[in-house]
Amino acid sequence: MNASAPNESPVSRRDFFRNGARVAAVGGLAALGGGVVPKAGAGTTVWQIDPAKCLHCGNCATHCVLEQSAVKCVQSFPICGYCQLCPGFFTPEPNALTTAAENQLCPTAAIRRRYIEDPYYEYTIDEGLCIGCSKCVEGCIRFGNGSLYLQIRHDRCVNCNECSISRVCPGDAFRRVPASSPYLLKTQPA
Amino acid sequence: MSGNVPKPDRRTFLGALGAGGLAAGLQAQATPAAGPPYDVSKFETTDPRLVAYACAATWVCRAAGVRGIAAGPDGRIWVAAGLGVAAHRPDGALDAEWPLPERSTAVAVGPDAMVYAATRSAIHLFDPAGRRVGLLESPAPKAWFTGVTVTSEGVFVADSGNRVILRFDPQGKLDGRIGEKNGANGAPGLAVPSPYLTVVRHPDGNLRVNNTGRHKVDAYTPSGGFAGAWGETSFAIHGFCGCCNPVSIAALPDGRIVTAEKGLPRVKVHSVDGRFESVVAGVEMFPENAKAGSRTEGLHSGLGLAADERGRVLILDYVTGRVRVMQRIA
Repeated sequence: MNASAPNESPVSRRDFFRNGARVAAVGGLAALGGGVVPKAGAGTTVWQIDPAKCLHCGNCATHCVLEQSAVKCVQSFPICGYCQLCPGFFTPEPNALTTAAENQLCPTAAIRRRYIEDPYYEYTIDEGLCIGCSKCVEGCIRFGNGSLYLQIRHDRCVNCNECSISRVCPGDAFRRVPASSPYLLKTQPA
Repeated sequence: MSGNVPKPDRRTFLGALGAGGLAAGLQAQATPAAGPPYDVSKFETTDPRLVAYACAATWVCRAAGVRGIAAGPDGRIWVAAGLGVAAHRPDGALDAEWPLPERSTAVAVGPDAMVYAATRSAIHLFDPAGRRVGLLESPAPKAWFTGVTVTSEGVFVADSGNRVILRFDPQGKLDGRIGEKNGANGAPGLAVPSPYLTVVRHPDGNLRVNNTGRHKVDAYTPSGGFAGAWGETSFAIHGFCGCCNPVSIAALPDGRIVTAEKGLPRVKVHSVDGRFESVVAGVEMFPENAKAGSRTEGLHSGLGLAADERGRVLILDYVTGRVRVMQRIA
């Protein structure tokens, strides 16, 4: 064993450390590049959902690379009707118009309901709980004013080069928008 | 035996591992969302035994952006269509088109054949020859006129923006507000989450107003007194579905009330005291309207209603622009 050792270990201690340093440097640059290149692209554009094209299919909840989707429901208060029976908050046939779990449409109870005055209620989204499933969006658009809609929240989105949700979006609603105006907000109807 | 099984080399092993990972990844990407997001499909079919009307005539309005329908005393059918109002003969032929300075939102015809065309904040009066002879303007800045009717006691205008029925006297002077919350006479107040407030004259001499946010049809005297309300919140055929229905109402010559809903676009007849009687048109008759409600914007769907002197129900589909003349068959 001792006789064959020089043939099996031709790399000297100095070469080993030199090559190791090169590999580490190249690896570091690659990692840095991987992080920088998408962000360089993100400097000009980011992903966003066009609410006019969104079909509220539910894919946003299940196809984001993040464990909890970066897509969240947002509320347009000027459009909202402050309905007592909010079709985005309640199941189609609620037992009662209360906040009991069985009456709520949202699977994570991410919509907060607050009494304003008879018969109006305010609805707000707890984004920490919202998973972007769009059940509320479907109910609100079909029966209400369509004030609830989906947007990509850029404090969460990692801005992938190719958004994994956009690949499966049936409405082709995902597009890149300028990073300086990263949201496509609904406005009050004319 | 185990000695005969060839061991995979390192390259084969890593290749197989990568292929397996890729397949698992592709399968994960193809996993569909679990279940339909919002399912009301069981309410989209109508029991045929409940349907008591059939379509006697139908046509599509030429102008885009229809929003209101009315039956004239001469048999013509008026439609608030885009930047004007249009009169159609009973067979659908276009008979007249009168322009307006902005998008029309409702139309009514008086017993004297005067035409009252609503825009967002004004009522334009036309004589039977089409000359503009008057203007009733909103006193409030947030006005959104969505309904108008005429009686011998004046012109009644539904203002969705201010959740009130405005009463103008025959000379055009604003002289009353109807529908505001009033503890003294029990008026609950009009809840109007979306711009679908309408008002119709009833054969009993009172008015009927669709209190959409409460799922009720209210009755008011022409002087503004509250005369009762009926209506039940339900997706079932006898009730009013969603957040804010009925979006349109009409009174038949015998006093029964016709209602139209959005979300589940359907038209029904109720007795004077609100008991469900029959279906004029079920959801199946308005596939584009139902689809529009779920795919674009709730504010762009809905149905307009009117009833003529023969008891026929006129339905205007806001999405397709189609007029349907419904004749009772049972």
